[in-house]
Amino acid sequence: MKMHRNTHRSEAQNLFGLTQGQRLRYCGAIVAIALSNACMIGAPVVAGHAMDVLKERDLAFGIALLSWCARAFSALDHASAYLVLSGVAAVLLTAVGAGFMYLRGRWAAVASEALAQRVRNALFVRLHNLPAAFFDRADTGDLVQRCSSDVETVRLFLSSQVVEIGRAVLLLAVMAPVLFWRDARLAAVGVSLMPFLALGAFLFFSRVRRRFEAADEAEGAMTATLQENLTGIRVVRAFARQEHEVARFGAKNRAHRDKLYRVNRLEAMYWGVSDLFCLTQIGIVLIVGGVFLAHGGITVGELFVFVSLTSQVIWPVRRLGEVLTDSGKALVALGRINHILQAEQESREPRPALARATGAIAFEEVQAGYKPDRAALVDFSIHIPAGQTVGIVGPPGSGKTTLVRLLLRLYPLHRGRILLDGMDVRSVDRHWLRDQVGVVMQDPFLYSRTIADNLRVGRPDAPDAAIVAASREAAIADAIGAFPDGYDTRVGERGVTLSGGQRQRLALARALLKDPPVLVLDDSLSAVDTGTEQRILDALAGRRGRHTTLVIAHRLSSVRHADRILMLERGRLVQDGVHDTLARTPGPYRRLCEIQGLLDESIRRDQRVAAPRRGGGA
Amino acid sequence: MADSGTFDAADVDVGDGFDDAAAADGLQARLWKRLLAYVLVYRRDLALLLALAFVTALLEAVYPLIAKWVVDDVEANGADAAFAWWAGLHLACNAVMALSIAGLIGLSGKIQAFTSHDIRRDAFANLQRLSFAYYDRRPTGWLMARLTADCNRLTDILSWAILDVVWGATMMLGIAVAMFVMNWRLALVALVVMPVVGWVSAKFRKRILATARVVRSTNSRITGAYNESIMGVVTSKAFVREQANARDFGKLTGVMYRASVRNLVLAAVYLPLVLLLASLATNLALVVGGSMLLANVIGVGTLIAFLMYVRHFFEPVETIGHWFAEMQMAQAAAERVLSLVDAEPAIRDSEAVRRALAAQGRRPAAAGVAADGGAARITRIELKGVGFAYQDAAPVLSDINLRVGMDETIAIVGPTGGGKSTLVNLICRFYEPTAGQVLIDGVDYRARSLHWLQSNLGIVLQNAHVFSGSVRENIRYGRLAASDEEVEWCAKLAGAHDFITEMEHGYETEVGEGGGRLSAGQKQLVSFARAILAEPQILVMDEATSSVDTETELRIQQGMKFVLQGRISFVIAHRLSTIRNATRIVVIDGGRLVETGDHAALMAANGHYATLYRQQSLDEATKRWDASG
Repeated sequence: MKMHRNTHRSEAQNLFGLTQGQRLRYCGAIVAIALSNACMIGAPVVAGHAMDVLKERDLAFGIALLSWCARAFSALDHASAYLVLSGVAAVLLTAVGAGFMYLRGRWAAVASEALAQRVRNALFVRLHNLPAAFFDRADTGDLVQRCSSDVETVRLFLSSQVVEIGRAVLLLAVMAPVLFWRDARLAAVGVSLMPFLALGAFLFFSRVRRRFEAADEAEGAMTATLQENLTGIRVVRAFARQEHEVARFGAKNRAHRDKLYRVNRLEAMYWGVSDLFCLTQIGIVLIVGGVFLAHGGITVGELFVFVSLTSQVIWPVRRLGEVLTDSGKALVALGRINHILQAEQESREPRPALARATGAIAFEEVQAGYKPDRAALVDFSIHIPAGQTVGIVGPPGSGKTTLVRLLLRLYPLHRGRILLDGMDVRSVDRHWLRDQVGVVMQDPFLYSRTIADNLRVGRPDAPDAAIVAASREAAIADAIGAFPDGYDTRVGERGVTLSGGQRQRLALARALLKDPPVLVLDDSLSAVDTGTEQRILDALAGRRGRHTTLVIAHRLSSVRHADRILMLERGRLVQDGVHDTLARTPGPYRRLCEIQGLLDESIRRDQRVAAPRRGGGA
Repeated sequence: MADSGTFDAADVDVGDGFDDAAAADGLQARLWKRLLAYVLVYRRDLALLLALAFVTALLEAVYPLIAKWVVDDVEANGADAAFAWWAGLHLACNAVMALSIAGLIGLSGKIQAFTSHDIRRDAFANLQRLSFAYYDRRPTGWLMARLTADCNRLTDILSWAILDVVWGATMMLGIAVAMFVMNWRLALVALVVMPVVGWVSAKFRKRILATARVVRSTNSRITGAYNESIMGVVTSKAFVREQANARDFGKLTGVMYRASVRNLVLAAVYLPLVLLLASLATNLALVVGGSMLLANVIGVGTLIAFLMYVRHFFEPVETIGHWFAEMQMAQAAAERVLSLVDAEPAIRDSEAVRRALAAQGRRPAAAGVAADGGAARITRIELKGVGFAYQDAAPVLSDINLRVGMDETIAIVGPTGGGKSTLVNLICRFYEPTAGQVLIDGVDYRARSLHWLQSNLGIVLQNAHVFSGSVRENIRYGRLAASDEEVEWCAKLAGAHDFITEMEHGYETEVGEGGGRLSAGQKQLVSFARAILAEPQILVMDEATSSVDTETELRIQQGMKFVLQGRISFVIAHRLSTIRNATRIVVIDGGRLVETGDHAALMAANGHYATLYRQQSLDEATKRWDASG
């Protein structure tokens, strides 16, 4: 509990830090609302005095300034003049009050929206600068929720709740002295129930919070059942289980309804009781005021002022309890936002002087992994001269993809170092480093933009001709041509959906267009059929020497013609050589060749066996 | 309204034309009438609600009168005024008021909770009937948003708007009547501002509405951008897109900032303006009423009551305006929700079948006869010139001819996107052919009952879907009445028994949401067992064991022989063993049936199949080597 409170305090400090640059506007908004309240209070006071003047036909009961004016230009009788002046004064007061109210609205809007914009941008930038490991641990839906609905909660808190609290407090602060100055006894009577009201509301809302959460949970359960049904709708149909599903969802739907209704009855009770308090408070002022009036303690105008002001202040006071409990939610939301904003970013090193690397890569006794107890790469050393094409093979989990991630500096090393052009990758700017590498992944990510925009990702200024050329090399130009809008076709949610092979080839074209010193294909032709694969490999062969190329693959055909082949097993380099040598040396690579060779043999046999039968049948 | 923004209406654009912008002009009576029908189910609650709203509004009109009476009484009788009586009256009114307020909120809440339950119930039931074609065009998230956020928003309006509008209107009316009764001249003076307030409200509400719409759609674009930035974080890093992405996003938040500020500033002008107009009315009443007081036409009590009335009179204007704007905004949501409730499934029983089913009623069918009067047994499936195309698109399948008999297993092979899954979906009548016919024992399946056919199917899919619940419950989904022994027997046949018994709670192990606690291969085995338990006459396996390891696959093969007996089976597969064991192989490429025959014959033909087979064997062999390495 104590810790809980401490984190809340630090969140509150963060909240304050967030308002930097907008504080003046916020203060302005709060002052404006105070002034606006003061003006609004003025109107009934003016009216009250007017009543007394009319009733007593005596300007002495009037407000001094208005009385003086009424005497000065009395074309009519004094009372009538005072009356007209009062009306004008009250409207003017309200007009000024309305002006302040507008300012309050404008300033609060600008301040809170500017803050929300700043938080949104900061979150977006921070998400891009967090290390890849952060996202391994996080859930996308949860992160998005922090960025959207949690920001919204904080924004609402800043734009309306803070001002609402300010309003209630200032209203009391301005009005209480006015009332006490006019008649201390009646004023005391007038605020007697208010503390109970505010406290009661606060207690009520903090008590029933659990019930609200229960209703939320019931809704969550219902939503989960709905989602399961919709994602599994094929299974439901396949077994004709519609009725069963309707019953299942029905139960959750009813549970949610009943919990919601229960919460609602509690709320109904609260509003009933608190209304009783409010109305009774006004009633007390009216009746007690009436008694005072009868005994000449106050005038009828003052009674009017008291009744009016009490009813003006009591509703915001009632809201206070509710708003205060809501502010707890804002602090929780802020904590969730800060979880992202305060996570450690990737470090930034100075950019090296050279513009483009040659592409020489070296791993020196590298050890790395995702979990501290299990290394994905062990004592891994390799020198790759610039321009070489290297095939990398090995079973799943042997560390092939880890190599790529380390080269891009997406994950940290435990030991050893990685050099690009002889420079430790940890000593150079990550952005420069990544600019030197073009990666194609097995399951590539495409942005929901046009195909042309997706291709230009690595080279924003690429001319159309270059885009088409890269698409040709990646054997995707024909497929793009077949789309309704060609290169302007949108990818993803609202556009066309691409097959796995098409995505891989688009990603390849994207990397080729970037024309980087180092090109990495991470099992990136797995969904492409063998014929197309061959065309792509031929195109890549034409580029030989232009990039240092790392090809990670399952199929022998993808790596056979590489300058050099690396065989990985359990995070270690076990074989390193050209195809012809490795295929002759006993070891895992030769076993791979044998399996694939045997297969070719068996297929040929299959066909030989089948052929005469077919001939015989004809 | 609690709008999380996660399932915002604008998140997914399915192009069905129910656009916020298009639907927001004017109020469409048809929609609201239809929705009101849901409220009218609770007409007794609604009647009580209206009655209470009436009482509340009347009491609001009574309070200023009490003030007037107290003042008049004191004016006339001084200290002898009947204070106790007035205090009692005030308290009594308070009590009634408190009770009605509690009643109002309780009833509105009840109507809200119950109508949204009812709409959801109907929409869900209809979703269970709608064809897959309907789902193809609507992502799960879109459908969920209709049943959650949209539903809540509409019932919010149906319950609270009714309350607020009835209460507000009655109160305005009550106050107007009270004022006219007290002094009609003064009443006219006080209400002369009313048309101006109405005009200003209409003007502003419209513009506030327009900006609110921009805020909403920008907000969902921002959510989408966050989603993309997280999903594509590695790509963005690899291509050093950080600054470019942030620049694009900055433009988006800039739009959001300007639209939101505009929206809020409009509101900041509107509210003070209404207040100012109300004050104009109040002070007109003060001046004119004051002159009447001077002329002794009215008493000071009446003046007080008038001033209180005028101030209250304009309070509901803003609330009512708010609800009308909200109703306009929510019309797109109403349109979407109702479209879901009312959508007619494209595939359903024909008139004749429905009549036959009705005639059969609850009587048990005779042996060998299905509920729709046709034969219960399936011995032959025939596809005659079958073609299929999604609306207006190029055909996915054309001119497929195929005849399959009892005990046959058809392997369907071909490149991805060639139409294999579509063919299977047509056989299961998840879609109906757009050309040609599917005959079951010589009868077009459109002349049979959909439920009959589909309850005779057993399907195992590559992305095997498992529901949350225990393993046992999941297998039993195939046949709800199956005994524990039958469930375990089928699990053994499917090769799932071993891994299930090794789990902590065996068959009672909870699999988690979406089967999250099972591996992909385990899910496939569970869904295989589920399909076997269903004792289907037609068994369909779409890449059903792609994620299962080789050893288990071998074990499944043994059970498979038994499982395939006495059924018609269709298998879409990559595994060579599965393909080779089929009685016949069908090669689908580019939407056409290009080759058919058994393994040996197709290898000898050295055509599509031979090429596919070679490629597949290579991948498979390599993976097996990888796994053993």
